[in-house]
Amino acid sequence: MEQNNKPVKYDLNFAREIYNLENGSYIKQCMQCGMCAISCATREIMDYSPRRLFNLIKLGKKDEVMQANTMWNCTSCCTCKARCPRGVPIIDVMHDLKKYAIQNGYADYPQAAFYKAFWAEVAGRGKVFEGGVTARYYLLRGLDEVKKAMAMKDVGLKMLKHKRMPLFPPKKIKGLGNLKKIIKKAQEIERREAR
Amino acid sequence: MANKSILVVGGGISGLTAAVEAAEVGNEVFIIEKNPYLGGRVSQLNQYFPKLCPPNCGLEINFQRIRKNPKINFFTMAEVESISGQEGNFEVTVKINPRYVNEKCTACGKCVEACPAERANTFNYGMDKTKAVYLPHEFAFPMKYAIDDQACKGAGCGKCAEACEYGAIELGMQAKTMKLNVGSIIWATGWTPYDAGKLSYYGFGRYDNVITNVMMERLAAYNGPTKGKIVRPSDGKEIKSVAFIQCAGSRDENHLKACSNVCCLASLKHATYIREQYPDAEICIYYIDIRARGKYEDFFTKVQEEANITLIKGKAGEVKQDPETNQLIVIAEDQIEQKVIEKKFDLVVLATGMAPNTSMAQIPCEAAYDEDGFVAAAAPGIYATGCTKSPLDVASAVRDATATALKAIQSTVRGQQ
Amino acid sequence: MEKKIAVYICTGCGIGEALDIDALSKVATGEYKAPICKQHGFLCGQEGVELIKNDIEAEGANTIVIAGCSSRVNYDVFSFGPDKIVERCNLREQVAWCHPAGDEDTQMLAEDYLRMTLAKLKNLNLPEPYQVENMSKTVLVVGGGFTGLTAALESAKAGYQTVLVEKEATLGGYVGKMYKQVPMKAPFTELEENGIPALIKAVEDAGVKVYTSATLEKTAGAPGMFDVTINQNGSTVEERVGAIVLATGAKPYDADKLGHLGYGKYENVITQAQFEEMAVAGKLEASKVAFIQCAGSRDKEHLPYCSAACCIESMKQALIVKEKNPEANVYIYFKDIRSNGQYEHFYKKAQQEGVIFIKGDVTEIAENDGTLTITADDHTMGTQSEADEFDLVVLANGMVPSAALGDVVEEPAQDEAAAAAEEPKAQAPTIIKANLLNLAYRQGPELPALKYGFPDSHYICFPYETRRTGIYAAGVVRAPMDMLYAQEDAVGAALKAIQCIEATAVGQAVHPRSGDMSFPEFNMTRCTQCKRCTEECPFGAINEDEKANPLPNPSRCRRCGTCMGACPERIISFKNYSVPMIGNMVKAIEVPEEADEKPRILVFACENDAIPALDMAGLNHLEYNPWVRIIPVRCLGSLNLVWINDAMAKGFDGVLLMGCKHGDDYQCHFMKGSELAEIRLSKISETLNRLGLESERVRATTVNIMDYDKIPAMLDEFAAELEELGPNPMKDFQ
Repeated sequence: MEQNNKPVKYDLNFAREIYNLENGSYIKQCMQCGMCAISCATREIMDYSPRRLFNLIKLGKKDEVMQANTMWNCTSCCTCKARCPRGVPIIDVMHDLKKYAIQNGYADYPQAAFYKAFWAEVAGRGKVFEGGVTARYYLLRGLDEVKKAMAMKDVGLKMLKHKRMPLFPPKKIKGLGNLKKIIKKAQEIERREAR
Repeated sequence: MANKSILVVGGGISGLTAAVEAAEVGNEVFIIEKNPYLGGRVSQLNQYFPKLCPPNCGLEINFQRIRKNPKINFFTMAEVESISGQEGNFEVTVKINPRYVNEKCTACGKCVEACPAERANTFNYGMDKTKAVYLPHEFAFPMKYAIDDQACKGAGCGKCAEACEYGAIELGMQAKTMKLNVGSIIWATGWTPYDAGKLSYYGFGRYDNVITNVMMERLAAYNGPTKGKIVRPSDGKEIKSVAFIQCAGSRDENHLKACSNVCCLASLKHATYIREQYPDAEICIYYIDIRARGKYEDFFTKVQEEANITLIKGKAGEVKQDPETNQLIVIAEDQIEQKVIEKKFDLVVLATGMAPNTSMAQIPCEAAYDEDGFVAAAAPGIYATGCTKSPLDVASAVRDATATALKAIQSTVRGQQ
Repeated sequence: MEKKIAVYICTGCGIGEALDIDALSKVATGEYKAPICKQHGFLCGQEGVELIKNDIEAEGANTIVIAGCSSRVNYDVFSFGPDKIVERCNLREQVAWCHPAGDEDTQMLAEDYLRMTLAKLKNLNLPEPYQVENMSKTVLVVGGGFTGLTAALESAKAGYQTVLVEKEATLGGYVGKMYKQVPMKAPFTELEENGIPALIKAVEDAGVKVYTSATLEKTAGAPGMFDVTINQNGSTVEERVGAIVLATGAKPYDADKLGHLGYGKYENVITQAQFEEMAVAGKLEASKVAFIQCAGSRDKEHLPYCSAACCIESMKQALIVKEKNPEANVYIYFKDIRSNGQYEHFYKKAQQEGVIFIKGDVTEIAENDGTLTITADDHTMGTQSEADEFDLVVLANGMVPSAALGDVVEEPAQDEAAAAAEEPKAQAPTIIKANLLNLAYRQGPELPALKYGFPDSHYICFPYETRRTGIYAAGVVRAPMDMLYAQEDAVGAALKAIQCIEATAVGQAVHPRSGDMSFPEFNMTRCTQCKRCTEECPFGAINEDEKANPLPNPSRCRRCGTCMGACPERIISFKNYSVPMIGNMVKAIEVPEEADEKPRILVFACENDAIPALDMAGLNHLEYNPWVRIIPVRCLGSLNLVWINDAMAKGFDGVLLMGCKHGDDYQCHFMKGSELAEIRLSKISETLNRLGLESERVRATTVNIMDYDKIPAMLDEFAAELEELGPNPMKDFQ
């Protein structure tokens, strides 16, 4: 929370950009009730509740919003969306914000790397290979993170033991080419709709 | 030649007002009420905001007006089955459900002493019981008993009939239908408190000490289940802290989309009930906006100054129960402090809103309803009023009903030309 | 009418078990020589009613006493036509159900109640309705704005001649100057075109007689016969009307007082009204606009109340900005968003259109390079905030009722004698010379103002209640409200006006004693011109001539009897309610001698609240003090001090008045009845002391309808205090 003496200055330009995201315009109808703040499963580790995040967006606080961990800690459990009295599809907004953050170079959060790794796996293989996601994630995060990964090796070994993480990649799906076509088409549509 | 009489469906404050006001202009009026008594929801209120005066006082005046006015006819336990005809000349079929107690009842109460069966007291929202034969409440108008056929053991028992010296019990009474010819119709079937059980995160129905605002009215009323003492329902203990959760269902697209208009002021009023009985109790109101419009602002100011309440800007998100103490934990984001707070309370009152009864039982004629279930428009000569038209406080409902009386009279005039 | 009294004692519902009915009958037949006295076990049953009807037909009984249950029940059963007097003697709720059966004191109580009822009949006659001469059924609407036009149209649509007076040259008022209107119907999201032109046309088509550029120079008379002098452009016209709707609207709060928000300092800080003007003139070109809510309202320094309409009006104006320029940035600074009820949809709509809502207090508005900068405490950000480059700031400056604009009428200076006597007096209602009605009333030229100058009703159950019979305020002159409310308010007020006309036509009272045909008659030969009746009438019903003689206006009268209670000469009486009538009841009670150790307490109880509460005590079988004798009164305001003298002389040990709560949240249906009674009591204490009687013997208390559980203790406490004082020394001088 900002408690410095300098007044914060509102700036609607950022808000307009966010409102133009796929589900962004729903943010406008937020009435600042705070239901989302409580229904959120990960509220204790979020920098800002969705309500506060939307308030910050509305008032143009781009840096605070983009640097917040809020959207990255969203687990898409859907409780907030189900309970939002104004029908804001909060998890969809969170997805939009994550994407916007990545596109605008605010991808410092580890979750951003995870998303990239996950996407690369799915798009490249048609399926998720946990080992692949893990490897890509840590590589994306850089050398220091690899060291951290080594510290997690016991967890990895246990997962292997319980067959929760296969050692070898699964076979690619059938018709991977078609999947790639579908993705390409979807991306084209998305670009077109974003004007 | 149009019929000059007016049918009013619903005998709550809106229906009573519309009927009495129209009759005092000179039109004959018929009131149809489904309960065994007139007065509707307001008779279940302990006090009105902002004057903190008893609703029975105003009802008494209205009943006095009915007593003195031969142009007003009323039927309790009655409902409209069908409407035909048009403005100026409607034929209405009314079903009168059996009361099992006839007009000979003197309200002496002997039957109650004899009755072996019990029923949940709907007047007190099920918080206590009455016998199967019961006086709906002390101020019941008409002052006649009724029998709940769901609870009554039937003709095989007959103890009440034996006890009655006046032959007022008729266990074999059947439903009747009758026809009324009227020039216009006023629909004033009112509202139902929104089902708090649908707000699973607040624990109503799971936790005894989570109650609704309408239950609070009964708890505070001398003729309620606790003789007016506000206590924890779980164990009857005194209260040291209470939370009011505003917009419990209202202003919520998953429940009631509209604002119910009265709940802010009702909770402020309830704060005065608590403060009167517990000078040191902690009172917190969780809110989105405090809607004390117009001169009600004075009441808001007064309660803030005199009742020492804590206002927390933030809709309560969840209520949990401490299994050890039965205390309730209210979780909300305090937006002024910018943090999530968990506070413990002895009692949680949900400020549930108004669901229009027309969203459940529509008018048996051509009518349009808005997205909230209120009547947007009806066929010419048929007018919705009060809380079938929009969520209103008592003063506004009375005002609206007075206006509707004129509309109904215009229909009877128009039909004559 | 020659009264032929028939007394019927019901022995059902436990009355027969509680009392010696034969002994009771002897009171009627012996002491009061009632020609007919019968008992029945089930009087309200068919057979019982037939019994009575037979006596009416065969014996010519025309004055029926029902000694049984309360008059609050079986009112329809015991109704024998308008030419019969029916009096109820409550032996059930007030005797058998709240006093021990078979007890000597219970019997004495019942016998006294029967005596009181029979004694009451002596001075009780059927009322004859007051007939207004040259009765007019025309409705006058004062104010041709949205509310006034609506009221006039609806009144005309109900078939009543209607006259509309508007002081401006054109109709339409504040709303008429609007660019667009807030939504008035579901789905409550769409702005509506200004409906005033269509409304004006409808009013004209309906045949309403319209005076523009006209004001009321004088309003004289009473319901059914108001004579109004209309000044139109300097020449005067007279109209006789039956009832009046006051719809003179409100004025925006004076923005010159909002200098702290930059008004008057910066050209581009404007009011809501100026915004409408700009929009109508097509001069609204703004790319960044802020609306400041509660500019004046909800502010102790300005208007402590909320002006009710501003939140949705600002939303509307914000949407107009967006309509003209979809790219415009619009901010609304608010305390609470009060889009009550279904206007919640409108709030959402404004948000969806991109209006930014900020919960916070504006701390400063400044100008930089021709644009405005707003500094505020942003409550949900927990910080000071700043926004700049506004080219327009609109102040939602609230409303002040037109009735509040003017000087307060000062109480006329007291003459020396009165000042010397320093009699305690009830505070006269505030009258503000707002130049709206110019009533030729003794109590001042306008409707009494309530808090903040609104001539509101003060009753939740009866929002149109007014202190000047036949004049109904509607719309924003009555209370702050939005257009939807004002629309309904106008229709309701039109109904009340029509209702007053119809009641007056048949000589009946309007609310709260609707249907009452009795009215006060003045025996002027004994009047001492003391002015008490003209001053104390809560409805301003009584005028005064230059010699201070009262000039009653029966169709303004609400039949509460306050004048009757006020009159020291006891010259004011109703046909069925009078000083001797109640005096006879007091005198009919048998007060035992001191040696019998049976004290007596007389209770005067308001029939609107205290009497039903006493009934409820009975219904709940709450036992209370048997020394008590209760006399219902129309209102404690009708309490005449001579009754207390009578009671004291008779040997009563104490007198208790049970009336309604007074003060700011008064519950008296006649405004000041219980307060006036208390003031009168304070005057009598000196007299009592002079007689060697303690003033504590006479006391007033407030009882509301739900206080029935407290009544037994209340009476017991009073009885205990009286016991300490000892018996009334006058007792044995009877």
